[in-house]
This record gives sequence, structure tokens and C-alpha cells, in this order.
Amino acid sequence: MSTISDMLPRHFGPYGGRYVPEMLVPALEELEQGYLKYKDDPEFTAELADLYQNYCGRPTPLYFAENLTRELGGCKIYLKLEGLAHTGAHKINNALGQALLAKRLGKTKVIAETGAGQHGLASATVAARFGLECKVFMGEVDVRRQYPNVYAMKLLGAEVVPVTDGTRTLKDAVNATLKYWIQNLKDTHYILGSALGPFPYPVMVRDFQSVIGREARAQIMEREGRLPSHLVACVGGGSNSIGLFHPFLGEKGIRFHGAEAGGRGPEIGDNAARFGGSPKVGIVQGYKSYFLQDESGQLQDTHSVSAGLDYAGVGPELAWLFDQNVVEFSPITDVKALDAFKRLTRLEGIIPALESSHAVARAIELAPTLPRDEIMIVNISGRGDKDIFITAMELDRENWIAFLENEVRHGK
Amino acid sequence: MENRIDLALKEAKGIQLMTHVVAGYPSLNVNADLIRLMARRGVRLVEIQIPFTDPLADGPTIMRANQAALDAGITPAHCFELCAALSRELDVAFMLMTYANIPYALGMEAFLDKAAASGASGTILPDLPWDEADGDYAQAARQRGLHPIMVISPDTPAPRLAGILERASGLLYTTLKVGITGAGTSMDQAGVDYVKALKAKAGLPIAAGFGISRPEHVRMLDGLADVAVIGSHIINLMDADGLGAVDDFLAACQE
Ligand SMILES: Cc1ncc(COP(=O)(O)O)c(C=O)c1O
Repeated sequence: MSTISDMLPRHFGPYGGRYVPEMLVPALEELEQGYLKYKDDPEFTAELADLYQNYCGRPTPLYFAENLTRELGGCKIYLKLEGLAHTGAHKINNALGQALLAKRLGKTKVIAETGAGQHGLASATVAARFGLECKVFMGEVDVRRQYPNVYAMKLLGAEVVPVTDGTRTLKDAVNATLKYWIQNLKDTHYILGSALGPFPYPVMVRDFQSVIGREARAQIMEREGRLPSHLVACVGGGSNSIGLFHPFLGEKGIRFHGAEAGGRGPEIGDNAARFGGSPKVGIVQGYKSYFLQDESGQLQDTHSVSAGLDYAGVGPELAWLFDQNVVEFSPITDVKALDAFKRLTRLEGIIPALESSHAVARAIELAPTLPRDEIMIVNISGRGDKDIFITAMELDRENWIAFLENEVRHGK
Repeated sequence: MENRIDLALKEAKGIQLMTHVVAGYPSLNVNADLIRLMARRGVRLVEIQIPFTDPLADGPTIMRANQAALDAGITPAHCFELCAALSRELDVAFMLMTYANIPYALGMEAFLDKAAASGASGTILPDLPWDEADGDYAQAARQRGLHPIMVISPDTPAPRLAGILERASGLLYTTLKVGITGAGTSMDQAGVDYVKALKAKAGLPIAAGFGISRPEHVRMLDGLADVAVIGSHIINLMDADGLGAVDDFLAACQE
């Protein structure tokens, strides 16, 4: 077989792989070889580094959350502020990397799936920057709940395609994008938005997102002269978490925490906690990993207040890290996430994305139990502006509705 | 090993039709009537799709049929029962088609056991590639009298095709275009040349499909491929005009 696949991990333990219809294989092989060729190419990495710094505003700050630390009374809490990256979330790290690669592979069009709209926004942004035609597939439910991002994508010149199949959320957007890709392989690159899907996506997305952990590592060494003992991130597909964790893996004395969507509670269909209950392995959307599914293997409905965590599968590397007890996963309910959202906003003047609020909630649970001299880094994967239609409806309902009604009246 | 697939092909005069039904869409009873009607029209190769929530290789028509069947509560057990009942009644070779997670959830051996016990003659698992650890099921299928039917495309690179040909038996199923299932494409000269070259190389009967929606498409393949696969178009006909329309179409294909 291809000798090249020996040089990039195709599997993580039993997980990952390339479970796709045969007609997708040539495109994935092309991508694999392209990625291998350019990932350490000095010109490619220099161009990406320049864009990270001068376009995205990297390195993003590692901020000592003094007030939160004091109030919780436990370990020292640092926040990695990915929300300050251009477009407001970590998703741009990966979208930029893939766009540079797509250019080098001679592609003129890009497509992307999106849940919260952050990855779609990042993809539309890099497409605008590099003159690529862009289509973003988005579940109809998410189009409705994340309209500010839909608007921004259109403004950037992307076409937003509402997906009306299945649960009309992220997983259906992934299916729709893969199918569109199968029909348009020649000139189109699929910018997959999380560390999942068929090989080489899980490794490629992880590599592009590892800039988070590399920076955090250098920043904490500079500030504290030592490594943290706890890392916390929210886990949708797994890209911001694996991006933070990866450069620290293998270090002794670090605990890795993943916060999943606990939604409305543990009932089937009420959450997206793949590691809650009894986790079940499956083969879906091109890779093997843990999936929320019934006993026949049908994917189950999911729910989360945050669209970005509302997904039935999880990246294969995290699945393997779960099996090895390296990453510990906990479900965080919608209520707890909203509470953490309010608390961080008030205490630190930082409005986190609802996804990231799950990580904050996990930190709030953990920190008081940990000694004061220990250090925790929490990834604030995005900022909360995009969620205004959800948070305002939850937290300031009457005024918000009055505002909307007024806007509509004036608009007409 | 020889089963109903081999017999159907051996006894065939001219091109054979292979049709596709999504089990449970619109209902198991209508499936049975539809398959009987197909058999009366001389169809001896029928794919029964076990519906799945995320059918990666299927276009909108078949995808919606999958979803409707699942919404109606169809499980793999119903599909095995449908296959069992009709394979006793009819001289038709049934191929159970589904996606990797269905056999994976059941356990591949158990899945193949059930498929064999339900009288199926083959399996089609388009997203389970032979070069993944649990995708190399061809031997296990044949041990149970089932042909492992592999799906390729015109762009499948030569080294992969070699790996597939080492494992495939019964039929080699190729798409005529790079794409997903769905009616509405036409056959061009490139497609004709491709099927000719493949047949010479494969040493297996060739089933060609994806996009066949007119009797002319079938006639175009006659003398080239051994089998023409008709999927989405049958669902579209049935949805628009009922079983009679399917009957008329199959009759026209065989003129
Ligand atoms: C701000 C933010 N955080 C987290 C996620 C979850 O994705 P992942 O687990 O890949 O980081 C998303 C996804 O849309 C997001 O927008």
C-alpha cells in the first residue's frame, strides 16, 4: 500500500481510519500526500506563521484569571483566549492552514460544514482572503439559531446551504458536505472543521490546532517557569481540545479534562455526551470512534444549548486518549454552562462562547478541589458575541424580545 | 462457491437488471409487492438496503427513503425478515446493502450469519473498505455462501483496484460517474470505454449503476456491462405514480 500513510498516523489505537466509499479515496489520498509534502515545507510554514501573527492576531493571550481564581479559592486559573483570534474562535487556525494547502493543491473552490457557524465563518473568511469560491453547509436548525454567523458568511461572499436532512444539525451538514465533495472532487477542497472524519483530517486538523497548546506551553513557562497540572477544554468534535492538549501529551503530572455537552440531562436525545452512560464505538462519517447510537447502530439525536458541541461523534484521537485514561470527560448541562457564562463575564470581563462556557463550568467544578499552588489552563475556544440570540433569550428574555419586536417594526 | 447471483448471470440472455429497494420504504408490504412485481418482470438481482441514519453514498432520494423507513421504526431485524420471506418465495438473488456501522454494531460475524440465514446471496457495504482492519470480510462472507460485492468508481487507482479484485466475487459494482446515487445523469463515451476496459481486466461480471433513469441507458450498457443497476429512479417513479409506473419502466427496459 501507500508508503506515505506510514508517515502520518492513520489510526489512533483502533480508532480513526478511512471508512469512505471508494470514490472518495482518490481525493483523500491527494490530500494526504499534499499535506505530507507541505506540512514541514519552510515556505508553507512561514506563510502560515505570518498569517497567524499578522492576520489572526496570534499569539492569543494566556491570561491569569485573578478574580475567578480568588473566588473559587483553589488552583491558579489561566485562560487561553482563542476568542481573541480573528473571527472570534480557534476555528481560524485550521481554516487558514487548509486554505493554504488547498491553494497549493490547485483548488479553486472550498466547501465546509458548520455547526455554530464559527467554522463556516472562518472558512468564508479565508476563502475571501485567498479568492476561493466558498459554499458552507449548515443544518437548518443551526441556521436558525446562529443567524449572526450566517449573515457574516454571506457578507464574506460565501453561499450558505441549509441542510434539511436528518436532525438538521452538524452531523447532517458533514454528510451533505461530503456528498457535495464526492460530486466535485476535481476543483474543490473540503475544509473539515474538527479533528474527525476520514484520514488525514484528524491528524491534519490536530496539527493546525496545536498552535494553541504550543503557545500556551511557552506562555506558561515564561510566566510561571513550570507546566500546568490541569488542562480544560470543551469537546465538540474535539479540535480545540486536542489542539490545546497535544503539545502537553506525555508530560507527567498533567491531567486533561474534556467538557462535553450534558444538555438537558442524561436522557437519550437530550445531550451530546458521548462518554457519558456506556460509550459505544461505531464507524460513521468516515472514521471509527465513539458515537451516540442505538443498539442497531443508528445515530441518535443530540441536544446542546451550544450548536458547536451538538454532535454525535468525537475525534478518534480523543477516543483513544479516553481508552487510555489520559483525558477525562464530564458532561456539563446547559444550565451549568449558562451559569459559567454569566460568572466569567462578570468576574473577568470576558464573554465566552457557549461552547467554551462548558470548559469554564468544568473549571469551576474542579478548581476549588485543587491546591493553590497548582496551575490550570482553560481554553476559551471562542467569544460569545455569536450567541447573543441564545444567551439574551435565556438571560434577558423580556427586554430582548421587546428589542427584537421594535427592530422588526422599524425595519418594516 | 456458486449461489443465486451466479445462476442469474449464467442463465442471462443480454443485460440483467439489478434493482434497489430501501427496506421499509414506503412500507415492508409495499416492498414485498414491489419485489414481486420486479421478479415478474424478470429481475433476478435485487438490493435490499437496510436503512441507516447517515447513508454516505446516497443522494437525496434514497437518503429520504432511509429516513422515512427509520421514522417508521424499521430495524435490521425487519430487513432480514423481508429478505427471508421473499427469498423463499421468489427465485431472486438478494443482496443486503447497508453502511459499515450496521454490521459493526451487530458484530460482522453475526451480521453475515443473519444475512446468510435470511437467504441473501451477497452483501454490499460501500463505506467499509477492504484495507481497514475490520473491512476485510470477503472470506468470512464467502464461507457463508455470500458474495462480498465491492463498489468502485472510474477513478479508483490501479493498486486499490488490484486489492479489491483479490477479494471481490459474484459481481463487481461500478459507478458510471464519480458521484452519489441519484437519477438524472446520462452515459457518455468515456463511460462506455471505461466499462469495456474494466470488464476485460476484472474477470468478474460487471454491474454498472448510478444515474440510470431511462430505458436507453440500459440499452446503451447492453453488450458492455452484465448488469444495469437502477436505484433512485425506481423510488422516484413509485413516489410519483405508484407501482404501475415501475412496472411500465421495467417493461420498457427489457424491450
Ligand atoms: C467556539 C467554539 N468552541 C468549540 C467548538 C467545538 O468544536 P471542537 O470540539 O472541534 O473544538 C466550536 C464549534 O463550532 C466553537 O465554535
